[in-house]
Amino acid sequence: MLLQIKDLSLNYGEQVVLNKLNLDANQGELTAVLGASGAGKSTLLRLIAGFESPTSGEIFIDSKLVSNRKDVVAPEKRGVGIVPQDSALFSHLTVSQNIGFGLPKGSDARIKELLNLVGLSDYADRKPASLSGGQAQRVALARALAPRPKLILLDEPFSALDAELRARLREDVRRVLRAENATAILVTHDQEEALSLADKVAILRDGKIIQSGSPTEIYNSPVDLGIATFLGDSILVDGHVEDGKIITALGKITPLNTVSEGQVGVAAIRSENFYLQPNPSGDSEVIGRVFFGHDAVVEVQTPKLKIRARSNGPFAPEVGMKVTVWVRGAVNFYPSDKHN
Amino acid sequence: MRKPPTLLKVLGIAAALAALIPVGYLFFRLGAGSEKAIEELLRPRTLELLFNTTLLVVSVTFTALVIGFLQAWLTARTNLGFGALFAVLATLPLAIPSYVMAFSFTATFPGVSGFLPSWLVLSLATSPYVFLAVSAALVRTDASSEEVARTLGLTKWQVLLRVTWPQVRPAATASSLLVALYTLSEFGAIAILRFDTFTRAIYNAYRLSFDRTAAAALAVVLVLLTLVVIWFERKYRGDYLSVSPASQKRVRISLGKAKPPAVTGLLLIAVVAVGIPLYSLINWSIIGSSTANLNQIMEALSGSVSLAVLAGVVITVFALAIALWIVRYPTKLGRFVELSVWANHALPAIVVALALIFLGANLLPWVYQTTALLIFAYVILFLPNALGTMATPIAQVPKSLEDVANSLGVKGNRSIFKVVLPIAAPGILAGAALVSLTVLKELPATLLLRPNGTETLAVRLWSSTEELAFAQAAPYALLLVVLGGLPALALNRQARKALSEVGK
Repeated sequence: MLLQIKDLSLNYGEQVVLNKLNLDANQGELTAVLGASGAGKSTLLRLIAGFESPTSGEIFIDSKLVSNRKDVVAPEKRGVGIVPQDSALFSHLTVSQNIGFGLPKGSDARIKELLNLVGLSDYADRKPASLSGGQAQRVALARALAPRPKLILLDEPFSALDAELRARLREDVRRVLRAENATAILVTHDQEEALSLADKVAILRDGKIIQSGSPTEIYNSPVDLGIATFLGDSILVDGHVEDGKIITALGKITPLNTVSEGQVGVAAIRSENFYLQPNPSGDSEVIGRVFFGHDAVVEVQTPKLKIRARSNGPFAPEVGMKVTVWVRGAVNFYPSDKHN
Repeated sequence: MRKPPTLLKVLGIAAALAALIPVGYLFFRLGAGSEKAIEELLRPRTLELLFNTTLLVVSVTFTALVIGFLQAWLTARTNLGFGALFAVLATLPLAIPSYVMAFSFTATFPGVSGFLPSWLVLSLATSPYVFLAVSAALVRTDASSEEVARTLGLTKWQVLLRVTWPQVRPAATASSLLVALYTLSEFGAIAILRFDTFTRAIYNAYRLSFDRTAAAALAVVLVLLTLVVIWFERKYRGDYLSVSPASQKRVRISLGKAKPPAVTGLLLIAVVAVGIPLYSLINWSIIGSSTANLNQIMEALSGSVSLAVLAGVVITVFALAIALWIVRYPTKLGRFVELSVWANHALPAIVVALALIFLGANLLPWVYQTTALLIFAYVILFLPNALGTMATPIAQVPKSLEDVANSLGVKGNRSIFKVVLPIAAPGILAGAALVSLTVLKELPATLLLRPNGTETLAVRLWSSTEELAFAQAAPYALLLVVLGGLPALALNRQARKALSEVGK
């Protein structure tokens, strides 16, 4: 276990920012901490980096205690690298001077290696002002990796970039972190980013990690209704359990999680679980369609409720068409007592 | 492409040509009497003046840089506490004209004179310029790069040297070179503290020995020195680094054991720079109140205010015309006008005054010793700064608004009156007020060019101090601070911005 956070709490006066948060990360693993803005993600990183001291709890790096209420090992002695949101390059230094900042003199080979790794060999002597946002983030990543820190912290590193650049840079960052066998914590509010990039996703809410696991686990088995609606595009449909199935206004649905007979609650059906079968005598009607090319979100009025279905672009039914709505696959069911 | 209205062009070109007259004339005169001038310059006294002036400029610049930088760094980046209070204290000397500060020192410690008090007064009076520039740079500089440096293995003190300082260095350099220019052209404080530099020597050569050639020769040397400093400023100003908006929370650096000395140092500076002047002005005003000649004070006050208002209006008209021209209708001719006006921005007032005296006495006897010539001097001296403050609010009005106004039926350039000026009005009015306050505090040009019988606060303070009548001088000094310095400080955009951000 490279990083271990135990019951970490931080209060600013009355305001509780982190509340007994627990998080572990293994060597070589990329962990994404996913949370809404203001959930305390950046604060968590600042605590790990040693810029803030916790109100209570402990942080261990490489099994060494680095932070508790009384003692905080100084940032420069922790072996933790950070990549801030806005890259924060040293504007008075060139790209290679930035990368070499944390290295002893004469580390030209390492600088060259990193320049190559992030694909900026031609920019070694440029000043940060002449770099694009994506290039600046690559330099910031290389600079953080250069001294081979035990742990890399990435604070929403892609949020300032446009969508296309973001996707490309994500791939690059993953590749570079793998190449360096770096252990990294990425905080983000972008679920697509967390799910596509990380080995492990941890969801931060109300100052604690409420669920963590592989991206597939997290997406397929949200532990509560809050996460279920936060991740992906879900419709909530009332239902109850009968003969091991969920009985809803959309028919019988197979539960994904363990349910017990007679439970009343809500089924969270993702838009990709719906299948729309064109049927002139169907009882549902397409009332809206947002076309994205590769797919489309189709709004359908069923006899009892409105649903949103994700449909293959070329096959998405037109507004006004009659359809039959099917639910494919199993969905998660949350008994009422849990979400009240 | 819009075409500039003729009126703007006429005003602009007139100002540009007028701006070139004084110095041009000075060099011309000197050329005519060059032999005598060279003889004058070869005297050992010139070397002494050069040494004194250089010594003062270098020492004041360095001291102001150290004080201003430390004040800014301590208030903006450390756990000093009371950041807002210390920021106010660091800015407050701006409200005290330097000659008033010098007066307060001689009045408190009678007999002090020479290099040391001149160095002290000017360092304290100019350090706010460095403080404001550096704290603005610190606020704009991304503190997260300092945090990154920590994670890369630097201690907090190494961060100060290797990351913080390089990032604010352009602002620190630019502001300390402004301090150098200020010191070079300073007259009042140095003359009151009787330290022989070029400005004082020029004044004495003209006033006491009526030696015009000597005065002109020294003035030319002073102009050349000014050019050297400007050259330095241009060369080392550097590009302002592009910085991202200040990010989130920043950790204040813990000063540890250095905290008590830091607090003591800042308080000590405040006591000397603000405490002594205030104490001295109030104390002497109370002493002088029983014998104060209220009529004289009122006369000087009305003289100051009427000159300030008149000059303020004239300067504002020219500044507005040129600002509108260069911002709304960028042309080559407009650039030339701007440059020509700017060429005077660092010219010592004593040089302008001297040039205008020669010009008036020799070529235009009918304007010599008239209010018109004095106002002309004010225009030359303060138009560059007025242009700077007024171009900003005008440039901030989006050009598309004029197009919209035209599309809604406003005819041609009438959009200036319908849209541009109303929107920019607050900034323009603040700029106009600031110019008037600067005129109100002006000493050397007023002293040399005022028509007989015209009294101002600054002139009265000067003549009373020369007679060592401190009690008589104090009310004028107090009025200059209260009516001139404090309102000017309140209107100073940089100061307001710094004070609102630094304390956070």
